[in-house]
Amino acid sequence: MLDILTFFGRLHPVVVHLPIGFLLLAVSLDLTAWNPRFHYLRQAVPFVLFLGFLSAVAACLFGYLLSLTGDYDTVLLNRHKVSGIALAVGAGALLWIRIRMSTFSPQIFSGMLIAMMALITYSGHQGGNLTHGSDYLSMQALFEEKREKPVSVSAALLFEDVVHPVLRQKCGQCHGPGKMKGKFSVANHAKLMDGSKNGPAVVPGKLAESELFRRITLDPGHKEFMPTDGKTPLTADEIGLIAYWIEQAHAEPTQSMEALQANDTLLMQVARVLGLDNRPAKVSASDNANEYGHIPETLDITLVESLRNKGLNVRLNLQQPVVLDVTLPDHSGLKAEDFREELLHVGHHVVWLNLSDNDFKDEDLSFLKDLPNLEKLRLENNPLTDGIADYLQNMQYLEALNLNATAVTAAGISKLRKNPKLERIYSWNLKGRD
Amino acid sequence: MSHHHDNENNFRLHTPAFDSLNKRLDRRNFLTKTSLGIGALALGSLLGKNGASGKIASSATASNAAIDDVISALPHFAPKAKRVIYLFMSGGPSQIETFDYKPALVERYGQDLPGSVRQGQRLTAMSANQSKFPMVPSRYKFNQHGKNGTWVSELLPHTAKVIDELCIIKSLHTEHINHDPAITFFQTGNQLPGRPSIGSWLSYGLGTDNQNLPSFIVLVSKNAPKDQPLYTRLWGNGFLPSEYQGVEFRAGKDPVLYLNNPDGYDGTDRDEMLDYLTRLNKLQNSAYGDPEVDARIAQYEMAYRMQTSVPDVMSVVDEPDEVFDLYGPDSRDPGTYAANCLLARKLLEKDVKFVQLYHQGWDHHGGLPAGMENQCRQTDQSTAALITDLKRRGLLEDTLVIWGGEFGRTVYSQGQLTPTNYGRDHHPRCFTMWMAGAGVKAGFSYGETDEFSYNIVKDPVHVHDFQATLLHLMGVDHERLTYKFQGRRFRLTDTHGNVVKDILT
Repeated sequence: MLDILTFFGRLHPVVVHLPIGFLLLAVSLDLTAWNPRFHYLRQAVPFVLFLGFLSAVAACLFGYLLSLTGDYDTVLLNRHKVSGIALAVGAGALLWIRIRMSTFSPQIFSGMLIAMMALITYSGHQGGNLTHGSDYLSMQALFEEKREKPVSVSAALLFEDVVHPVLRQKCGQCHGPGKMKGKFSVANHAKLMDGSKNGPAVVPGKLAESELFRRITLDPGHKEFMPTDGKTPLTADEIGLIAYWIEQAHAEPTQSMEALQANDTLLMQVARVLGLDNRPAKVSASDNANEYGHIPETLDITLVESLRNKGLNVRLNLQQPVVLDVTLPDHSGLKAEDFREELLHVGHHVVWLNLSDNDFKDEDLSFLKDLPNLEKLRLENNPLTDGIADYLQNMQYLEALNLNATAVTAAGISKLRKNPKLERIYSWNLKGRD
Repeated sequence: MSHHHDNENNFRLHTPAFDSLNKRLDRRNFLTKTSLGIGALALGSLLGKNGASGKIASSATASNAAIDDVISALPHFAPKAKRVIYLFMSGGPSQIETFDYKPALVERYGQDLPGSVRQGQRLTAMSANQSKFPMVPSRYKFNQHGKNGTWVSELLPHTAKVIDELCIIKSLHTEHINHDPAITFFQTGNQLPGRPSIGSWLSYGLGTDNQNLPSFIVLVSKNAPKDQPLYTRLWGNGFLPSEYQGVEFRAGKDPVLYLNNPDGYDGTDRDEMLDYLTRLNKLQNSAYGDPEVDARIAQYEMAYRMQTSVPDVMSVVDEPDEVFDLYGPDSRDPGTYAANCLLARKLLEKDVKFVQLYHQGWDHHGGLPAGMENQCRQTDQSTAALITDLKRRGLLEDTLVIWGGEFGRTVYSQGQLTPTNYGRDHHPRCFTMWMAGAGVKAGFSYGETDEFSYNIVKDPVHVHDFQATLLHLMGVDHERLTYKFQGRRFRLTDTHGNVVKDILT
């Protein structure tokens, strides 16, 4: 059912050319008929207009189905949708006039047909923008000189390569060459400095007076926050760079990064914004920042699957970096060698591990020393003795260890206590005390 | 059993009754579902996506991808807690007789509540027409306990002993003044029925850690006064798929009915029977595409696994006497609050994600002293025992314990104030809850009320803030766990809620 709808939707780019052809043909027939030698062509206009109307309605329906499936820019989509539907309605109206109103002025009718041609051109252009991108066919594209993307941070120009592309990408849709909401445009440096209807947007060297900076740093719920209407906001890196550009670089258009003597943080931000550094920025400074800096960022997901296939429960504790919580179900019947290899393949990512109640002896668990990033380890209800301490006493991240109902003795515990990081050792019901 | 219908065509039944299933898309169906469907879709877009066409669009593949995006982004943070046990004290326990110590009230005994305190705030219809609002202090003494000398009422002697594990929040406030909206608000984020409960959201977002038990289990005490009812919507799935609803275990010896095989049936071919049933259901669903059928398939399979897992987890024969002594004498009587606390610990040991206990009877409009004494006697020891038991087993490392009701109670007496008896009306402007375990500060107290325990003077915590904090501890950003329903994205905290960072470790 859904596939049929999608299928029809994808026919839109094909079907859409039918009304274009039919309606243009209707226009040319009508105009040519003004020449007395071809007067008879006028009789064909209603039929061709009818075909144009029918195919325009079909193109609208298919176009709607297509719009359901893809991520189209809502502004462009809306323009195309409204103009397309208007075109279909217009074709129908012209047809009706031609058939039902025999006294209608043929001059005005031709004029209306020409107006419809303008509408076809507009709607078609919007459709093309949707498919190919709005800079595919524009006057600007004809004259613009493209600057090559810089290959290194030091070769970059702060405004031209960094700040301007960000502004164009995040603000250009409404404040660009096309639309100029609030009479403000980021199309080039001069226009940016011209400001908006509310006054200057950027005041060189004065962050607090720069309206642009205020708008992008408001609370996202604030009605003056930009970008508005739920469009993608600027990232912390981007905001930082814009602030630096306004304040330190006095909003100059041509400063190079080298001349600015920027600090490392700034250079890193530039690298990330330019896509020269593939590591994503931390989600936010307060959450998980540097907490897991020692754990590798990525992990082949098939390694996790093969551990799961061995019967272990693997929970994802964090995506970036990949941090895992691994549990062997109690009384699993598995021996250490059954899953050891798979576990060690993801070893640097495991921070929580639960091997309780599985009849493990000390020597079964010698692999624990190869899980260097463990923070919480549950080993309760296993026949373990003080030997287990040897594997664990040097773990630098281990903070909680559960040894309840094992045969570990006070000697083993005190050995473990020498690990300064290990804050909590659970030693309830030790078998040694019975 | 002798025939194995491995070929699906053989498996399909060709009888008149099944014909409509077999045809799937015949001519008429095709036309209704395509041409009319297309027209309806176009019309729907012109009319602003209302009604049936909106429904069709919402089940399109694009929105399935959106669901996957929401789920695959989880967890958003490294979780501190893997499991939650939420002890819901239904009815609204008085903060004044438990944790919010207000010694200055003693001198104001019987005086009218100053208008400057009430500030014209609304009261319930039950006490709004009183000619006087005589203030009444706690009848019960408070003593200091634990490392920080925290004041705790003598009604809670056992809880006082584990005070160093608790993170007490004295500045909760809610928007609702009556039980039903207040409790629905607490459990689902909205005062009106229809939203998923906290446990359902977590179960939906984070999945299960134990395939053999539901990830969201509800236990209701049998030994509590049933003055205010509970509704299954409090643990309902709302608009989420049905398999994420809380599963209520019955209070008593047989918590899940019909888990035992009937007489004369040994259950050996149950597996095969369910396999065929699943295939039949899938066959039907390939034509209808109803998510409720998927949910039913999942529930049948869960019930099958519960035939072994539930008797296993319910059995307390292996628990030593010492454990029953810890939880109190009621713990030997299945279905009581104490027995439920013990059962909850066993469920948590099995990595059930969200266990919710309800204990009713805290609604003391009158006869508060006798009522509070009884309620505390029923719950205090086993609540403290649960903390102690989880702590020594190492489970408090990654388990979050929550205790609290839906609102607090007024400083003034509802009805006649006598030297030995008084009542308190509903009070949404301040009340006390506590959390303990994974990720929250132990031996910590947060927020303050004025000397009347009427208004909050420091660090208010709204119900949505509490919900946001709970989700945060489980690794979930409350703003990003959303579900699109009837054309908009919903979340537990609606458009509100701030994580209370100050109580986090």
